[in-house]
Amino acid sequence: MADGAITNQIRTLRFLAGEMSQAELGQKIGVTRQTIAAIEAGKYSPTLEAAFRIAEVFGKPLDEVFQWVRG
Amino acid sequence: MPYREKSNLLALAAMLVAYVPYFVVAAMAPVQTVVTPNLLLLTLFAAVSVVRLLILGVGYLWFRIRTPDDVREPADERDRAITRRSTTVAYYVLMAGTLVAAAIMPVWFAGWTIVNAALFAIVLAEIVRCLVAAVSYRRGWNG
Repeated sequence: MADGAITNQIRTLRFLAGEMSQAELGQKIGVTRQTIAAIEAGKYSPTLEAAFRIAEVFGKPLDEVFQWVRG
Repeated sequence: MPYREKSNLLALAAMLVAYVPYFVVAAMAPVQTVVTPNLLLLTLFAAVSVVRLLILGVGYLWFRIRTPDDVREPADERDRAITRRSTTVAYYVLMAGTLVAAAIMPVWFAGWTIVNAALFAIVLAEIVRCLVAAVSYRRGWNG
């Protein structure tokens, strides 16, 4: 498997969405606040479905929310 | 801390508090070669089960009072992924333990030694399950 990591812009996008809380975002996509916190911290890679849902909440394409950074 | 991480740590603490003394006593008890009622171990096992249930009961009640919203929240995809991972690892521990207790130990041991070895395999598998889950919550899980 190629070395790398998934990064994301969720914290920034939440800020731009009127400081949307983690709990609010979690509620919109059907996960807990702790899971949003884990995704933001890079401690959990969401499923493709959850990733699309997050992108949809912010009205952004998937690659503007999540990026693959080669290690 | 997520509710499910706390509940895994609680389950881990309950297992350790209850079963470490049991296995220490079992290891020091005189060897019985046939499975006859062993009052010492049976009584201890009953006490251990009660202690474990008490710890779990008090712990869950505490969570319910302190963080009622977290308790009501259903498991999400991360919780399910961590459960799958921890259960899979624990399954291999249980399989290895069962093979040792049921297929290898009878060559040299008998009676309560084998019963305790089987019980130890179950307890060890449960401890591993709780540990893997706790570490996955704490350090992250990108699988």
